[in-house]
Amino acid sequence: MERLRIIERNEPAAQKKFSVEVKHVSKSYGETEIYSDLHFQLLRGTFVALVGPIGSGKTTMLNMFAGLERPTSGTILVMGQDITEMSDDALGEFRASTIGLVPQVQTLIPELTVRENVELPLHFAKIDQENRQRKVDYVLEKVGIRGESRRIVSTLSVGEKQMVSFARAMVNDPPILLLDEPTEALDPLMAEVILGLLRGDNLTLGRTIFVTTHDRRVTELARKTLRVKKKIP
Amino acid sequence: MSRGVSLQEGQLLARSLKVSRSTHLVVASVAAAVAANAAAAIQLTGPVGQIALLALIFVTLAAGTSAISSDIYARSSQTIANLRSLGASSRSLSSAVFFSVIVYGVAGSALGAGLGATLGFVLGGQGGAVSAVVAVLGVILASSAAAAAGVYAGGRRSWSG
Repeated sequence: MERLRIIERNEPAAQKKFSVEVKHVSKSYGETEIYSDLHFQLLRGTFVALVGPIGSGKTTMLNMFAGLERPTSGTILVMGQDITEMSDDALGEFRASTIGLVPQVQTLIPELTVRENVELPLHFAKIDQENRQRKVDYVLEKVGIRGESRRIVSTLSVGEKQMVSFARAMVNDPPILLLDEPTEALDPLMAEVILGLLRGDNLTLGRTIFVTTHDRRVTELARKTLRVKKKIP
Repeated sequence: MSRGVSLQEGQLLARSLKVSRSTHLVVASVAAAVAANAAAAIQLTGPVGQIALLALIFVTLAAGTSAISSDIYARSSQTIANLRSLGASSRSLSSAVFFSVIVYGVAGSALGAGLGATLGFVLGGQGGAVSAVVAVLGVILASSAAAAAGVYAGGRRSWSG
């Protein structure tokens, strides 16, 4: 059973231009099958929105692209690298340099400041101090929270934390940005800022953006929309 | 591009894992207490007793530091998952805990051994000043080895669990 529309399948001209290649991927939790024999590719620089009912496996797919969950069978290539065969540490290193992730549940470190949280992926990617400083300043300015850089994250509002998550995901200028319900916790103004950034990054930087969402504004912005049709029993 | 864990990265990770001043104080004070008693007692006993005391230091401090490092990993399991999702390696996370505990364990044992050796010397320990110096070195070595072995064992148990 294939529960997802297939896009950009086997386009000859697009060979080696894929950011994500999903090859016959199945995913189960025990007896519960989430996906079966998925096979598709995402072109580099595309902007894809994944929509579907709550509990339909959208986050599972995003986590598999990020290497946070492994498929039960099949192969996933991200920027040409087979992430299903990587060790956990190799995956971490790969993620630090290649993937920006904005998860649905806040994963910021509450004890650290805004700046320290945003800086973390740069440490893991072994970026030197001068470049860390420059990149963090740039992304905080871009997201509009540079004035909050010394605040401890636990003192921020939910929306502000989400903005910090965005900054952290984008700080290392990753070629792929994965976002799980990114506008859910944001007020309209913050959502506009983020949507503008996503559109700009996608158009001018050619960044691949894959987003799960229920927000019509996001699907209207996306170049393609994938729909997961069924809720998992 | 350096593959090691920088001091700043280690400090950030240690704070993220809630390795606080209280943790440092517990490690340092327990190590100091054990080392002080041992360094004093070593000067008041013969070779067999000295070996037994050093073995006792090793076992008790290794058990203590192993429990502390396991506790750090256990109460920060979600944070560890979050840091891993950003690209943190098991090595960098282990190093952050390892060095936090080792530095304070060695500092505490050095302080305790110095105090204990002085006390043993004053109480009329065998062998005089030379024996006191040997007691200090022996206790610091045993404590450091115990702290390293304990943190390593705690980390291994946590990662494999």
